[in-house]
Amino acid sequence: MHETSIVNSIMKTLEQEFEEKKLNTLSAIYVKVGKLSNIEPRLLHNAFTANNYCGTKYHHVKFHVESTEIKIQCLHCDHITQITDYKFMCEKCEKPSKNLIQGEEMLIHKVEFDD
Amino acid sequence: MNIEKSTKAARGTVQCENTNINLLKANDYVAEIIRNEMKKSNTLLINITSSAGSGKTTLMQKTAEKLKDKITLAVMVGDLETERDAERIRESGIQALQIVTGGICHLEAQMIHQVLPEYKLDDIDLLFIENVGNLVCPASFDLGEDYRVTLMASTEGDDKPKKYPRMFLTSDMMLISKCDLLPYLPFSVDAVTKDALEVNHELEVMQISALKDEGIDEWCDWLLEKIKQKQNN
Repeated sequence: MHETSIVNSIMKTLEQEFEEKKLNTLSAIYVKVGKLSNIEPRLLHNAFTANNYCGTKYHHVKFHVESTEIKIQCLHCDHITQITDYKFMCEKCEKPSKNLIQGEEMLIHKVEFDD
Repeated sequence: MNIEKSTKAARGTVQCENTNINLLKANDYVAEIIRNEMKKSNTLLINITSSAGSGKTTLMQKTAEKLKDKITLAVMVGDLETERDAERIRESGIQALQIVTGGICHLEAQMIHQVLPEYKLDDIDLLFIENVGNLVCPASFDLGEDYRVTLMASTEGDDKPKKYPRMFLTSDMMLISKCDLLPYLPFSVDAVTKDALEVNHELEVMQISALKDEGIDEWCDWLLEKIKQKQNN
């Protein structure tokens, strides 16, 4: 359900960003979802496919979902730590941090069009 | 249903647009509008989240009883179906409106914005949004709130902060609820606090029991302090 509304949001966003004529040539969408975004890539993919069963003009569009790791950057020593056990702490100086630099995103980061 | 087959193969050169469009752009835009309206009317907006059945509505009733003679407060409450929660809260003598999401597992900023005209914001000091009971999706949707408060009932088990990290990471306060049951449950306040602070070291933690009126005065003092801060700004 959550994933279906995300797919709708993707299509709505693209319709706002690009002209209809250009969207008719849309061939691929690349999205990035962070491990903290509560979006499951496989379900998002399923939701996109299910959406197109209804015969939308996007049924030939390829849909790629990339999952990104959670990373924080320490505000004291600048060190970047990849978070694996949800312990939000710098691995170098062991100070806690909420300074997320990756992992929360839900982004359309690339779209391709046929020439 | 007629499903068209694609005869359109990719051909020629492929144009790429490298873009970075946030999928929740529409939600975040509306959340900002709500934030501005709250600023204009000096209304403190609190988003209450938790699992289903952890005591959000009971806390709303108790908070209303304690504060309704000191300040003007109101609630909007989201649920998949029924008007039950809003009715319960109205019995405490404050304004409460139900947002029926019709199956959607979270509240979005647009839903909040649609019901705002029902409230006389200029007269309201504190507005609660009682979110849909769910620790997953509501974490992703900014509703324009000043603070996000997550209830964590002692009956849920003390392992939740690491299971639902995004919710605890985006919260400002964790209220450990149903604390009157602690003597009967294998629930460690220390363990849940440790896990929650590992996820979010800025999280404030309080223990309450709305039924037995424990910790509610401290909670109300916290709210009054935040209202004062907002109105002085």
